[in-house]
Amino acid sequence: MFSVARSDIIQSAVPLVPDFVRARGGVRARFGASAHRTHALERAESGGYRVRFPRIAETCEAVLINTGGGMAGGDRMHADISLDAGAAAVITTQAAEKIYRSQGALTEIDIDLTLASGSRLDWLPQEMILFRGSRWQRKLAANIAADASLTIAESIVFGRVAMNEIVDRGFCHDRWRIRRGGELIFAEDMRLDGNPAQLLAARASSNGARALATILYVATDGESRIDEARNLLADAASECGASAWNGMLVVRLLSHDPQELRADLVRFVEGFRHSQMPRSWG
Amino acid sequence: MIMITTTHAFSAKANSAMELPLAIWFSPMFPVGAFAYSHGLEWAHEAGDISSADDLRDWLATLIERGALHNDAILLAEAYRAVARHDANCLAELNELALAMAPSRERHLETATQGNAFLLAIRKSWPCAGLDFIDAREDIAYPIAVALAAAGHQVSLDATLDMYYLGLVSNLVSAAIRLGMIGQTDGQSIIAALLPLIQENARDCASKDLDDLGGSAFRSDLACLRHETQYTRLFRS
Repeated sequence: MFSVARSDIIQSAVPLVPDFVRARGGVRARFGASAHRTHALERAESGGYRVRFPRIAETCEAVLINTGGGMAGGDRMHADISLDAGAAAVITTQAAEKIYRSQGALTEIDIDLTLASGSRLDWLPQEMILFRGSRWQRKLAANIAADASLTIAESIVFGRVAMNEIVDRGFCHDRWRIRRGGELIFAEDMRLDGNPAQLLAARASSNGARALATILYVATDGESRIDEARNLLADAASECGASAWNGMLVVRLLSHDPQELRADLVRFVEGFRHSQMPRSWG
Repeated sequence: MIMITTTHAFSAKANSAMELPLAIWFSPMFPVGAFAYSHGLEWAHEAGDISSADDLRDWLATLIERGALHNDAILLAEAYRAVARHDANCLAELNELALAMAPSRERHLETATQGNAFLLAIRKSWPCAGLDFIDAREDIAYPIAVALAAAGHQVSLDATLDMYYLGLVSNLVSAAIRLGMIGQTDGQSIIAALLPLIQENARDCASKDLDDLGGSAFRSDLACLRHETQYTRLFRS
């Protein structure tokens, strides 16, 4: 029922949902390692959210699906992912997530990632597309063991490129808090309030670039891979850079062209992980 | 040169001798080594992003309103209140957060090195209550170190925020002059032009809390990443 309502919304020029129609849901998954590979031990789905596990030879892959096809003001999604000791999983999304124009209520996304000793998670969702007038807030929290390995690759696009949408109204706040062995090691708050397009236009902001990506790699070899990371960025068309300190590595990319950013991000992540992107990335 | 502006802003704000230490703590003679950091300006200049006084003023305005300076001011205000209510645990958490908010290796160095040096100088020459809230062996972020000293000496938070902002902006203007981006006169004009924005943001940040953290100075952060591999460098950030 919801998916029908939402596809109507996508087609209309002004995607709006009355405040009382709100989608609340999410997914919870726990992964554990057996002798040969990682399996999903628990799975819970609610609202319009699903998680699928395509059969792939070497890794345990999970694909998050929003059957609603996007998120409106007042919608809330919670993803709770945990990995037992020694487990290894890759998580992605079936498609880019669209955040529609809101009448005032926030569209909220909460991501909780918990990694036990020796586990490895690659969190590789597709882009977050923020529509004009959207009001989006995400809280991404990761708690990882001192010897766990976490890769996060997230990209955000302001407006729909095909219709040359200018996001001149809206709000977004993206909060990341990464703890390793209980210690907060990485914290970031991206915030744009009012007229994002105008704010982004400043040269110290994005100089008008509408696509941004951050890749964070926390692992015991995080710092030692900095030269490799820089080499992988050498041919990128996007503006980009890398840094490593305190047992982690950060890559940032920025482009006027979301497709260009996506291509650079894919090339980097594939090279850095020595593995192709999940199939849903196309 | 920068002292002239500093003293002017200070005397306009201060009502008592209680605030006099700020003039020293944020003067270039205070041994924090601020002169060694450009906060990515050196790369922005190299890349051609800043080629005039107006460019520099706009770049700094972004940092004041929604860059690291803004987050620093919020963290300073929260830390000041934590010290004032003797909440050592909260102060430790704020310090952890302030250090974790560094977006790159050099920016981590920038805040931790200046914070450590500032606190060391306070411990040695300006002792006050509350300094034992932070373990001397741990890194301390610059705004947290300033909060500790200001609250310990009962300097007003408003004046501290004004001077913190002004100190950082003055330091970046000074860096720009040394890089040959602008001349001395331009430097003074930029500081004078930014003063109302500094005061407005300092005032706002005094009553903000951790939910208000956030920014969008993406290319300033990116400049700090690029600076790490810049071929010829005068600065450590």
